[in-house]
Amino acid sequence: MKKTATYSQENPVIRFFSSVHLAIFLLIALAVTSIIGTIIPQGQSQQFYLDNFGPTMSKLTKILHLNDTYHSWWYLSLLALFSTNLIVCTLKRLPFTLKLFKKDNLAVSSDYLTRMPYKRIWRVKDGVLDNELMQKLLSTFQKKAGSFQKKPNVDGGTLFLVEKGKWSYWGLYGVHLSILIIFLGAVFGSFYGFKGRIMLMEGETTDHAVRFDTAAPIPLGFSIRCDHFFVSFYDNGAPKEFRSDLTILEKGKEVLHKAILVNDPLEYKGVTFYQASYQAIPEVTIRVASSTGIQRSFIIPAFQKVSWPESSMTLALLKYIPNIHGVPAARIWIGDGTGQGHALWVLQGRTEKYTRGDTTYELSLVSASERYMTGLQVKKDPGVWIVWLGCTALILGFAIVFWVPHRRSWLWVGPKDGETQVILSGQTNKNKIHFEKDFRELEDSINSVLGNQ
Amino acid sequence: MNLSSSYLLSLTTFIYLGAAALYMIHWIFRVRQVGVLATVVTVGGFLVQTAGIILRWTESYRLGYGHAPLSNLYESLVFFSWVTILVYLVIEWRVKRRVIGAFATPFASLAMAYASFSPKVADSIEPLIPALQSNWLLAHVITCFLGYASFAVACGLGIMYLVKMKGAHHDEKPESVIGSLPRLKVLDDLMHQTIIFGFLWLSVGIITGAVWANQAWGTYWSWDPKETWSLITWFIYATALHARFVRGWAGQRIAWLSIIGFLSVIFTYFGVNFLLSGLHSYGSG
Repeated sequence: MKKTATYSQENPVIRFFSSVHLAIFLLIALAVTSIIGTIIPQGQSQQFYLDNFGPTMSKLTKILHLNDTYHSWWYLSLLALFSTNLIVCTLKRLPFTLKLFKKDNLAVSSDYLTRMPYKRIWRVKDGVLDNELMQKLLSTFQKKAGSFQKKPNVDGGTLFLVEKGKWSYWGLYGVHLSILIIFLGAVFGSFYGFKGRIMLMEGETTDHAVRFDTAAPIPLGFSIRCDHFFVSFYDNGAPKEFRSDLTILEKGKEVLHKAILVNDPLEYKGVTFYQASYQAIPEVTIRVASSTGIQRSFIIPAFQKVSWPESSMTLALLKYIPNIHGVPAARIWIGDGTGQGHALWVLQGRTEKYTRGDTTYELSLVSASERYMTGLQVKKDPGVWIVWLGCTALILGFAIVFWVPHRRSWLWVGPKDGETQVILSGQTNKNKIHFEKDFRELEDSINSVLGNQ
Repeated sequence: MNLSSSYLLSLTTFIYLGAAALYMIHWIFRVRQVGVLATVVTVGGFLVQTAGIILRWTESYRLGYGHAPLSNLYESLVFFSWVTILVYLVIEWRVKRRVIGAFATPFASLAMAYASFSPKVADSIEPLIPALQSNWLLAHVITCFLGYASFAVACGLGIMYLVKMKGAHHDEKPESVIGSLPRLKVLDDLMHQTIIFGFLWLSVGIITGAVWANQAWGTYWSWDPKETWSLITWFIYATALHARFVRGWAGQRIAWLSIIGFLSVIFTYFGVNFLLSGLHSYGSG
């Protein structure tokens, strides 16, 4: 907007926030500062920055929160300033837009029309423009330009106006508002939603997820079970599909089954579960035969201890190799319950001896298998629909701002300079090339009506 | 099978290089017939390329992978060049100025040449990894590349503008090299229109990407380098549009912004893949 006389009397705070210089400065500042977080790795430990960038940069990283640039105080301040500027600038433009919108385009003189960028004047001999020809002229005008408004007694003649797309001045407000709506959705989602993860073994059930940011447990209000996990590969070794068969339980009762894929999550009560990762967890069955004649088998999953209280023995799986000399092998830890113990390799088809006191135990690997653990990303974001609303409004707004023109076509018929004149003129605020084409067509049609006389 | 998609797409590279050369000759030596020939060659190349893309699509089904050819760097370069030619041909048809071809078709030719000859770009048809198995792939890639291609053409127009402006003082005869370029006013308007078109598609591209990310990972925005750079590009063009709209910036400044904006597009496209790491790493293969 151009500076006006009232401009200088304004509150300097409002003047600062409504300045277009500020808007352009902020757009450039956001563009430039956004680069930082794409160059400096985000979300690393302080030690990482010290090791890679040295003490000075590491200190700077800490002060300016460059380990999480886009949530740092200064970046969020820039965004807040940007929003404020957007609101103030837009509001300040409002009276100007209202004036454009309310402007009566019938309140023009015939001289004004001759100064329009697109115009054509026909001089018609007296008496030629009778009622019949006038009807023909108007119906051509209507057919080519659209339905018109009429105003008599304009400089002694009659003025006709076709006006289209006047409402398009509001498109700008739609665009700016939609950006604020998107911000609002993001803020709303971050306050009332969460992001977390769940690791579930096949067959396992849980009623909570773990937050990404604080690692705190979040109760879900229901339970989720992983029935199966499947992974498949293409011939070239690239992964083809990750799939988890999930069941939702309410108070122990199954209410929903769904197989989720990477691009096909499960949503239940506003919480969405995404297939994010997986791990193959080995599990071995070990038979232990004691020299006292007792024999028992244990299923030992990874990361878990199995105890045999009668012999005060605990067993754990330290390492699993699916194929060593053609057979699976497991490294088993045997504890005596006091923290002391012994580790040994057990290969399938062979027996390993372990002696404690006067008892000897014979260990053999009965079977080995792999169980899967699925990694789910869990999210609740009630703001996402606000964001999508904003995005839709943004695109619609753009289409209006860029492509819906405010077009005016005037036709004036009356006496001027001692003869009867027909003045056609037009104006558009955008897409002049297209308007000019339409205007020339209109001009040609009217010319053929008047030229026949 | 002797008529393979790689054959057609390699052929396209040479046709586009030829077309770019013809447009250059048309511009510099002012031979009208060469200009017509350039258009014919470009349209021919476009048809061959279209056939190549369709053939590649059907070949992927024959391999049992079955996906649109928009899944890796090679395929995206081919598509980028295809859209650039399409946007250029529409402009040529609408404004009837073949000189613009000398500044627009080189982008398409260079993209094809890079795709075909760089050892870094693998042209084999690969199956889709789980993250890419979505209908949003099509919507996201097509809209982004409509934006990128428009920005490429706008950059060409910006360069034209600067060339015309530098030479305008001493060489205004319509038959001269500088004089044959469209008037500054026309170039400025065309540049603005092309940036608007690109900006709209870039916005739709960012949004479809957000919708897809939300469906695949549960976050519509994660400040991944690719996302951030697309936003940086968006900021640059938003600056250009606002500066023109409210500050009345036109001509030279917008021409420079259009060139800077396209450099940002190139960085978003290649720089992020090769220099930075992130979620879009599959685009680098």
